[in-house]
Amino acid sequence: MTAFEFLEVSGDAIARSPMERQALAAGARFEVRDGWNVAVSYPANGSLTWTDMSHLRKVEVHGTHDLTPGLAAKANGSWRCPITRDRMLVLGASDADGIDVTCSLAALAICGPQAREVFARFCALDLREREMPVGGFRPGSVARTPGYVLREDDDRFLMLFGWALGEYMWTVVSDAAAPFGGVAGA
Amino acid sequence: MSRLPKQPGERINRARTVRFTFDGKPVDGLAGDTIASALYVEGQRTFSRSFKYHRRRGLLCCAGQCPNCLVAVDGAPGVRACTEPLREGMRVEHLNASPSLERDLMAVTDAVGGPFTPPGFYYKTFIRPRRLWPLYEKVLRNAAGLGRLREKQDEREWRSEYRRRHADVLVIGGGLAGLRAALAAAEAGEDVVLADEGAEPGGRALADGRHDEARALAARAAGAGVEILSSAPALGCFDGLVAVWQGTTLHQIRARRLIFATGAIEQPLVFAGNDLPGVMLSGAVRRLISLYAVAPGTRAVVAATSDRGLEVAEALRAARVEVVAVADLRAGWTVLEAQGRKQVRAVVLGAIDGSAERRIECDLLVVSGGFAPATSLVAQAGGRTAYDARRGHFALADLPDGVEAVGAVAGEGATAPEAVPPAVSGAQRGKCFACICEDVTAKDIHLSVDEGYDSIELSKRYTTTTMGPCQGRMCQLPAVRLMAQETGQDLQSVGTTTARPPWSTVPLGALAGPTYEPAKRSAIHARHRELGARVQWAGDWRRAYDYGDPQAEALAVHESAGLIDVSTLGKLIVRGPDAAEFLDRLYPNRFSNLKPGRIRYGVLTSDAGRIMDDGTICRLDDESFYVTTTSSGAGAVEQWFAWWLADWGMRVTLTDVTQGLAAVNLAGPRAREIMGRLSELDCSNEAFAYLDGKRAAVAGVPSLILRIGFVGEVGYEIHFPAAYGHHVWDAILEAGAEHGIRPFGLEPQRILRLQKMHILVGQDTDSESTPFGAAMPWIVKLDKDEDFIGKWALEHAAEHPSETALVGFAMPDGDVPTEGAAVLDERGEPVGQVTSARHSRQLGQVIGMAWVPSPLAADGATITISDERRRLSASVLTKPFYDPEGEVLRS
Repeated sequence: MTAFEFLEVSGDAIARSPMERQALAAGARFEVRDGWNVAVSYPANGSLTWTDMSHLRKVEVHGTHDLTPGLAAKANGSWRCPITRDRMLVLGASDADGIDVTCSLAALAICGPQAREVFARFCALDLREREMPVGGFRPGSVARTPGYVLREDDDRFLMLFGWALGEYMWTVVSDAAAPFGGVAGA
Repeated sequence: MSRLPKQPGERINRARTVRFTFDGKPVDGLAGDTIASALYVEGQRTFSRSFKYHRRRGLLCCAGQCPNCLVAVDGAPGVRACTEPLREGMRVEHLNASPSLERDLMAVTDAVGGPFTPPGFYYKTFIRPRRLWPLYEKVLRNAAGLGRLREKQDEREWRSEYRRRHADVLVIGGGLAGLRAALAAAEAGEDVVLADEGAEPGGRALADGRHDEARALAARAAGAGVEILSSAPALGCFDGLVAVWQGTTLHQIRARRLIFATGAIEQPLVFAGNDLPGVMLSGAVRRLISLYAVAPGTRAVVAATSDRGLEVAEALRAARVEVVAVADLRAGWTVLEAQGRKQVRAVVLGAIDGSAERRIECDLLVVSGGFAPATSLVAQAGGRTAYDARRGHFALADLPDGVEAVGAVAGEGATAPEAVPPAVSGAQRGKCFACICEDVTAKDIHLSVDEGYDSIELSKRYTTTTMGPCQGRMCQLPAVRLMAQETGQDLQSVGTTTARPPWSTVPLGALAGPTYEPAKRSAIHARHRELGARVQWAGDWRRAYDYGDPQAEALAVHESAGLIDVSTLGKLIVRGPDAAEFLDRLYPNRFSNLKPGRIRYGVLTSDAGRIMDDGTICRLDDESFYVTTTSSGAGAVEQWFAWWLADWGMRVTLTDVTQGLAAVNLAGPRAREIMGRLSELDCSNEAFAYLDGKRAAVAGVPSLILRIGFVGEVGYEIHFPAAYGHHVWDAILEAGAEHGIRPFGLEPQRILRLQKMHILVGQDTDSESTPFGAAMPWIVKLDKDEDFIGKWALEHAAEHPSETALVGFAMPDGDVPTEGAAVLDERGEPVGQVTSARHSRQLGQVIGMAWVPSPLAADGATITISDERRRLSASVLTKPFYDPEGEVLRS
């Protein structure tokens, strides 16, 4: 066993998101993918959705980098997100070398034209296009807890937050999204 | 009373009737009406009773400024009838009158209570005899306030939202000036929000014939991208954040530029009977006529100080209201008294020099005491005001960067000459109200100055002027004028009271926002619930306190095996070539000589040598350590480490994996066998000894296993990715089922650790506790070559033994002293305190820990504990109650 393997999702068992029970209650159908029990469909559709992305691999990499503060860079399907001048978070890369923090940070993607309005209900970060273009990455308070927000696309924001806050955050997001017709999505 | 013919710009829809009830009686209004306009059409003149004297109050401003039309809507008090749109089926009720609005018993205070209710009477009366206070309190509580909250909790609750909004420009006020400013900014490409307290943007232009211009401007602004928030008063400015309340949403708006277009507020005049129903501001009259096609009376007298105030006479005539007299202060006439019992029946006008008087019968007295710029919000944003003697009001004198003012608040458009009204007229004829919200009269301000409250801020606090629902809109200027008159100062010297939020009335629930509490839950939390655990807060975590029988759970750990979720422990990865030296500098003991695969206990001390936190440190390899902290101390320890790392600049990285790893403690005499079934590790004592740390798969999950013993039995603390929480928990319980394994919660863990006299930082220690006092001198290595945090203080502490010491105590089975109970000396004086106490079924006695005077910190010494009215005797122990030599742990 390598030095930090005990941090990684690499065992024989099925890994589960901290929001699995809430997803189940929302009617999710699950499949095991890459060792994770992942929600692959929900009964309802909508133009505003939130999606559990906790299974996304996240690696904290220490060392200097060439990234611009507040701007993540995308390459080969993964994001490199600057936290400090010598610390970054790599999302979705299977080969990133660093401390695996996949299970330290749960993740929800909030998608749709009303995504910013949903965030406005629980987050004071300025997510307007000019301040937060695609690739914008902000550390900050999210629903009164420390977290990060990455704008992955025009109408898609990825929110990272403490794993232990999964149930809380699902409740907050679903409550904030409800007035806009938001639904859980896969 | 019927409606006027169609008015240009009217807001009502004559084709749609809206039915509601007022005090139980059905009333028909029109769509577009406010509650007040609909009731006024039906002949209602009294809308509320005043705060103190229970005087009749009628419509005064029709702009949501004054307190006169406050009603309860569907049980919610504090709604202004003059701005609240009518809704089908709404239930409107009066406030502050009993048994009815027409017959209010408390109105007797107006007739006879005056001498007994001077300003501050509540500081002077209801004091003696003291034993009657409970009765006074009941009476006062019943009499105080303007409404009653709904009694049932679920009826009081309503959903409110916070909405954060960033913008380039925030315009506050939706009159013509505000709309123009918003439009200009939007057309220049800026992101603009406009917040307006009116139901429709346009401000007074909607009622003074410029409605088409206002509506066209609003449409252009919206088309240019301005986000217009209507019925959305700004509550206050808080260091760049402006809170705006709209319906059920509290907008928290941050903008680079703030443009205040808050307009000017029409001021009342202070004269006898100035609060009588039928006394109305000119703006109110214009709104009733223009927006709701309501004639405010039949015979009117107008008393004003400016052309703008006098313009209402034309509007009245157009509405076929007879204007029987006009008193223009500039021509030397003003109003001395409004007469009438239920509403105005006549007014007495008088020459300002006292040379003439004239009584005129009428049912409407329209007053206009000038227009004071609404500077309160600007002042909260850093603006400064100064008294403008020519206009008789306080005007903006200075604005900070990023703050602009446009329109009437900036003094624009105020060209016509105005007269400055007297502080009070007709004072000998009856009550002249300076503050209609709080029923403060001109005489009250005179009395307060006589009593020494001779500054405007003191007077405000003593008389409560400006503290009512109008927030000084109607009473600030009259109070300042009266104060100047009473003290002989000029108005600039008197000044204004500090502008404070909220500028508009707002329900507390709006400020409270959504009720979600960030709760951390371990990855195993759902299992605890399924097992029937009692869940309690522990710091910011929800934890299993016990599963129904804490003593039995503790016994299971001694007799077979127990399993507890300890995922809440703080967990840090400390890595780098300097990692060992870094820890040596942080902790009083050594870690550079810790071998890979071994664990050492650590107590973190502050610069002052006081205990901050504790935990275990496992060396993973030469350059990597795994540090655990207390559950509640995780965040602080991570920050403490990061702080010193930044200062020292060492080649070390920190990663907080507290939430990333679940952790369970498998403990008990059968723990080894259970571990053997879950892992391929050789778990023999020789291969996996006490304080060894090993990495291996447990139930197929990669884990870090720490052999430590917080609960006193052979134990394995297993740390693994949180995503496998349920799997590992289930696997251990399954593997241990035949051995009688039992989950145990926080409470049995506390019993077990107490038996071992393991401290809980923050419970058994406080901010003054050092490792020496806490009976852990062995952890301080003053002979370390390198300096460490708190070394200097600990050297001093080592040379000056603590006066108190932390010890264990035991008592015969029976009463368990309260944590915090005092330890007494032989004279009965408190000299220490109990920090922990529990009954131990395993030991058959009550055990605990306490700080006692050092001379008593000896095995067998007797201490006396005072717990409420009990005196308990206990004997001191300095070694653990259970397995004092640690043989069980090491076996």
